Amino acid sequence: MSTHADTHEHHHEPGLQHQFEDMKQQEESVSIGMWMFLVQEIMFFGGLFTAYLVFRSKYPMAFAAGSNHLDVVMGFVNTLVLIVSSLTMALTVYYAQKGNRNMQVILILLTMFFGTVFLGIKAVEYTDKYNHGVVPVTGLNRVVKAPSGSGESNLEFEQTYAGLSSSEPAKPASGEHEYVNPKGEFQWHEFELIEHTVKEQEENPSAHLLTDNEKIAYFSNDKFDQNKFRDKVRIFFFIYFVMTGLHALHMIVGLGLMTWLLWKAWKNTFSAEYYMPVEMSGLYWHFVDIVWIFLFPLLYLLGRHFIHS
Amino acid sequence: MENHNEQQHEHMNIPKYVGVFLVLVVGTILTYVVALQDLDWIFPGANTLLALGIALTKMTFVMLFFMHVYWSPKLVWLAAAGSFFWLAIMFAFTMQDYLTRGSGVFGH
Amino acid sequence: MQTQDAIIPGSAPEPKLNYLTNGSTLRSWLLTKDHKRIAIMYLITVSLFFMMGGMYAAAIRLELLTPASDLLQSGTYNKVFTQHGILMIFFFLIPSIPAILGNFLIPLMIGAKDLALPRVNLLSLYIYWIGGALTLWALMQGGVDTGWTFYAPYSTTFSNTYVMAVGLGIFINGFSSILTGLNFIVTIHTMRAPGMTWFRLPLFVWAHYATSLVMILGTPVVAITILLLALERVAHIGIFDPTVGGDPILFQHLFWFYSHPAVYIMILPGMGVISELISSFSRKKIFGYEFIAFSSIAIAVFGFLVWGHHMFVSGQSIYAGLVFSFLTMVVAVPSAIKVFNWTATLYKGSISYDTPMLYALGFLGLFLIGGLTGLFLGSVGLTVHLTDTYFIVAHFHYVMVGGQVIAYLGGIHYWWPKITGRMYSEFWGKISAMLVFVGFNLTFFPQFILGYQGMPRRYASYPEEFQVLNIFSTAGASVLGVGLIMPVIYLTHSLIFGKKAGDNPWILPGLEWRTSSPPPTENFEVMPVVTWEAYDFSDENGLDIDEIKRQQAELATA
Repeated sequence: MSTHADTHEHHHEPGLQHQFEDMKQQEESVSIGMWMFLVQEIMFFGGLFTAYLVFRSKYPMAFAAGSNHLDVVMGFVNTLVLIVSSLTMALTVYYAQKGNRNMQVILILLTMFFGTVFLGIKAVEYTDKYNHGVVPVTGLNRVVKAPSGSGESNLEFEQTYAGLSSSEPAKPASGEHEYVNPKGEFQWHEFELIEHTVKEQEENPSAHLLTDNEKIAYFSNDKFDQNKFRDKVRIFFFIYFVMTGLHALHMIVGLGLMTWLLWKAWKNTFSAEYYMPVEMSGLYWHFVDIVWIFLFPLLYLLGRHFIHS
Repeated sequence: MENHNEQQHEHMNIPKYVGVFLVLVVGTILTYVVALQDLDWIFPGANTLLALGIALTKMTFVMLFFMHVYWSPKLVWLAAAGSFFWLAIMFAFTMQDYLTRGSGVFGH
Repeated sequence: MQTQDAIIPGSAPEPKLNYLTNGSTLRSWLLTKDHKRIAIMYLITVSLFFMMGGMYAAAIRLELLTPASDLLQSGTYNKVFTQHGILMIFFFLIPSIPAILGNFLIPLMIGAKDLALPRVNLLSLYIYWIGGALTLWALMQGGVDTGWTFYAPYSTTFSNTYVMAVGLGIFINGFSSILTGLNFIVTIHTMRAPGMTWFRLPLFVWAHYATSLVMILGTPVVAITILLLALERVAHIGIFDPTVGGDPILFQHLFWFYSHPAVYIMILPGMGVISELISSFSRKKIFGYEFIAFSSIAIAVFGFLVWGHHMFVSGQSIYAGLVFSFLTMVVAVPSAIKVFNWTATLYKGSISYDTPMLYALGFLGLFLIGGLTGLFLGSVGLTVHLTDTYFIVAHFHYVMVGGQVIAYLGGIHYWWPKITGRMYSEFWGKISAMLVFVGFNLTFFPQFILGYQGMPRRYASYPEEFQVLNIFSTAGASVLGVGLIMPVIYLTHSLIFGKKAGDNPWILPGLEWRTSSPPPTENFEVMPVVTWEAYDFSDENGLDIDEIKRQQAELATA
């Protein structure tokens, strides 16, 4: 979005475009334009948050189960990494206003470094999820690698099942056929929490451990159905991948912006009179940070207290 | 324009930026710690509410100080507030459907 | 304006470069940052899409001439009405007035050299072209049969047509409209000429401001919805598929969160055009300026609160249905305020029945019918009977064609002399305006009756007792078609053979009429300073009427 703030050397003021009367008008326009862009970005992510809200309110236990499977340490570290990058970005703007070229270059490089670290950790997490067979795309998990450290490879599906989960392998409910995986379907074997809750709910029908909706959604013929529960967890992972994936895409665009800024800062373009590109890229970077500030508790932290308290 | 600049220089300096950063770090740690505590004894969903409260606080700090909204014209305040208002419309009007399915005087 | 007259001697016939003659290479068009040239390129593409959508409409009406599905098989018919809807809504109705007339006129009306972000403007045109090309490619490959609403789970699980490609085309095209809206908001905030205060802005600009708000707040949501739909189709997650815990009604919520406000993206700019036309051809200051201005904003805001009235019979809770129904009644109020104010403007005005005014008067009647039947559909009880019948089809065509298209045509005629510098044939203009009005009513009024009698929409065949009214409808469609083709011919003809229009052919006070026709690339020779109120027909509006009349006479004798 900030490409329209290119420099035009032939004007008497650096960077002033032909349609504007003075720099003040141009800065106002660019700033309002960027904020309107951020408004549409908020609504863009807002659609996903609505989907999240609807499904979380429908299937809270499945969401808690899915969330507990995510690596909270990586998510936590990533949050810190992004916050640090936000700080370096804010300082970049500060030094751009002062016209301090060296500090700008250093801070932009630092911002890019932390952005890349974030994406790197994200990549590790994604690989991990792929190896656990929880990428919710049919057919994508056909070749399931063994979890790191087990030292085994080329496992058959059935063996993989046994090796994947720290808990017991999936026990099919009596009377149900075993959950086979000919198409590389989404896999899920962690049922202790939900089965425990179901049992408690059955012992104490007046307690609201499951929502009315869940009492239908996880059951077949009044019996807890692992397959049906697995489908709901799959929806959590779908939303997880779309949200974090779109966020990562925004990070990549942000890194592109940073590269462009680095080039401009290297040429010592920015000064107290002309620093809008830095300020605007900063707005974008902070926005992406804000999205993550919400994604972290909403995706990684829900239902943690079920287990840890 | 120069005037605007000086205002920003006056209001934000490196210690203040680092201060905001520390608030964000503390908020992150706090989110993590309280997520492990069972707060359902207060009321069901207290964990989620608290997590969202902390996230909103962190967002407010980022917007006000890192994004300079605090010193921005009213229009920017309006854009920021307006977009969250519209999000609230989307959430509230979607959920008023889901939360009233088959319940209350209109149910069954 | 005195200074401007001093700079431009009326007698010196020295040819000035206007935006059309300033550069004639293809490159000077394709890489232009001039909002007027971008508007012209939009005009050409949007017209092509309109014609294509019109051909699909013709196919639908021909098929419905007889009760049996003889001309088109049912499957083909599904594709035809889907593609009619997609082309008309996403590629004609939404971009037409904002991207053509808004693009051309907003900088002229507020006294700016260009839009605030000219490169973003050009980018939005290219995005529109890319999205349009992708959609057309998909239509050539075999098209799509889901209906323009893409309801899940049919679109995600069952349809074997090109849902992904068309969806992607619409996704891309959405960003064109977001960028246009963004640009307008920035421009209206920062680019107003000295003296052009908010309450001196023409109502056309207010309407576009409201439209832009809807574009920015709504369009991203449909973008993400289509993205989810595409992912669902690729990955079979089940987010919209009820058999694995998904929720098809969530799709409808997200879809209508945008697509109901999108109705206002289509009609609000049309209302802006009508405000200009009614005031100009009554030669009277518009009645209740502030009310019309704020009713545009009110429509934009309330438009976001009513989307559930598309889902009354979808399985949404009854409580939500009641809330949405109530708010639907509320959103009718600002629309009614506008209609009352337009009517009050006509009162004791000196009305002249030029072609644009014929369209404007047509709009008043047709929009009234379209709006009132909307209230029928917004009431929870009655809608059970009317949902998915031709009553719906008639209602939204009264609003979309009777409202938006009529306003668009009126606007094109009204500003044609400013855009091209040539006058169209008033004789043929009036004939086509009347043909459009008659043909439109003949096409769509019978559909109200058909729908009320229970004829369902989206079927290629129907029981024989509905045939008479369907013949009326098809006959009306042919008249409407002729009425719509005529402007293409005589407007094109006027480009070469039309009379020179002069700078201000209708002697109007608006800022766009105070520059030359066609305007120069920088819009104004000198930066205008606005000292008059909007729609000021009094002597204080700074117009030298004798001079304008002298120039008109000179043009007539030349």
